[in-house]
Amino acid sequence: MNAIEIKNLSKSFGAKQAVSGLNMTVPMGAIYGFIGENGSGKSTTEKMICGLIPRDGGTITVYGKDNSDEAVRESMSVLIEAPGCFGGLTVFDNMMLQAENLGLENAEKEVIRTLKLVRMEGAAGNKYKNCSLGMKQRVGIAMALLGDPTLLVLDEPLNGLDADGMRIMREVFTDIIKDGKRSIVVSSHLLGELEKVATHYGIIRGGKMMREMTAEELERDCRTYVSIKAKDMNAAKFLLMRNYTRVEEDEAGYLRVYDNTTPDKVAKYLYDNGIAVTELGKAKIGLEEYYIDLMKEGK
Amino acid sequence: MESAVKLEQRSFKERVISMLRVDVRKVLKSRTFYIMLAVSLLVPILMTVMMTMMDGSVSVDPQTGVETVMHGPESAWQSIGTLPGGEAMGGMDVMAMCNINMMFMAVAVFVCLNISEDFSSGFAKNLFTVRAKKGDYVISKTVVGFVTGTLMLALYFIGAMIGGAVSSLSFELVGLTPLNILACMLAKVLLMLVFVPIFVCVSVWAKSKAWLSICASLGGGMLLFMMVGMITPLNSTFMNVALCLAGGAMFSLGLGAVSNLVLKKSSLV
Repeated sequence: MNAIEIKNLSKSFGAKQAVSGLNMTVPMGAIYGFIGENGSGKSTTEKMICGLIPRDGGTITVYGKDNSDEAVRESMSVLIEAPGCFGGLTVFDNMMLQAENLGLENAEKEVIRTLKLVRMEGAAGNKYKNCSLGMKQRVGIAMALLGDPTLLVLDEPLNGLDADGMRIMREVFTDIIKDGKRSIVVSSHLLGELEKVATHYGIIRGGKMMREMTAEELERDCRTYVSIKAKDMNAAKFLLMRNYTRVEEDEAGYLRVYDNTTPDKVAKYLYDNGIAVTELGKAKIGLEEYYIDLMKEGK
Repeated sequence: MESAVKLEQRSFKERVISMLRVDVRKVLKSRTFYIMLAVSLLVPILMTVMMTMMDGSVSVDPQTGVETVMHGPESAWQSIGTLPGGEAMGGMDVMAMCNINMMFMAVAVFVCLNISEDFSSGFAKNLFTVRAKKGDYVISKTVVGFVTGTLMLALYFIGAMIGGAVSSLSFELVGLTPLNILACMLAKVLLMLVFVPIFVCVSVWAKSKAWLSICASLGGGMLLFMMVGMITPLNSTFMNVALCLAGGAMFSLGLGAVSNLVLKKSSLV
């Protein structure tokens, strides 16, 4: 059984079709990276999964039941756009409100435990409005973790987090799905970070699912390339472009040859043409580049 | 592998209790609540004292030259309602409204702010993600609005008595019995059950737009505010109480269902 199965989901706001015939499958125990450009329909889909906006058509099944089922909804938690907190209340009070909302028995203990998970126990007495963006985000995640939900829907949870915050979140996410019974849908523009934790991906564009794949499939699909640094980069680039079909210069100033070749062949070719190679290696493109390629293909 | 996930469902009672706990905790931590209660207690004291001090003063209209003599209150009970066969406090129409019945307007502001805060802060997302049924939210908001309204009425009553005592007004019940006063207050409390569901309904429709819900509640309520004095006069009997109870039950159930439908059919973010 899948955690979420969405079939032919659609939603429009006036004349704008936000989601159109979307299909999506989130397996049980997955960290599902939900990727797409701004306005591609990610948040709208997530809001429909959580029953926060009514859908125009299609079905959303969570653990085999419609998402309007009470038991299903009580097993979910959400962090969409911003944590739903009251600025005038302390972090602890805001957490207690959510604990009461969930009807938790040992509310105070559970709140403290969850705040400790995100290393926010020291800021429990701070007014929420006085917290920094990163702290607010941690509170939002702590809130979403309250009551051990079986399905977490997180929209941009990594925004504003520092390096330590990101590491903590990775640990928390990985820990949650350990037993294989919980699943996380997480959308983020920080693809490098997402790549470190996601087990499955869904790429959405214009309200339609472009591609769904597992992390293994992504690894397989990601192209390898030969990375080169030469003494005369301009001459090297000119030569490589004559001999190979796809040569690009990356942000770090390395030349990349994407053709099906090996580093020694490329080095030999440059050496034979009088170019001294200073650095040479073979690497694979990451999720971010894969995504950019896919978007280019789509256009 | 079949589902290894055990989904637990709370009963209706558990859901309503948890929602009430959320609301009570939130209200007790909110400044608006205490300001409203303080206003309910202080306004009648200040008004009674001021009106008593202005008793007998004459104001002249500079255009017409007409003189108006201000009449102060004769009895402490005039803050609660018009004395049988008498004039409202101050002898001016506008003052007839400036008694305990103003609390129905104050409750409108409280209910609207309380609900709009849930939506503007985003807390509604947390609430409605785990609540497929919206009834518990509507019930809780109605109960909290009703209880706050009752507290405000009670404090206004206490304030009126303090104001009366400070101004040395008469506490004599001319043509009234203590039961009339009790029935009058009870009827006003039950009448809250007519007004609060209206404010809740308007607020869940307006969602985060507090200004819209307050304007709509006061505007819509204006038609009914005038009736409060008529339905719950100082010489109320238990017939008035029964009438308010019936109206309260009808409005709570009817408008509660409408609020539920509004939440079900509209976007909650």
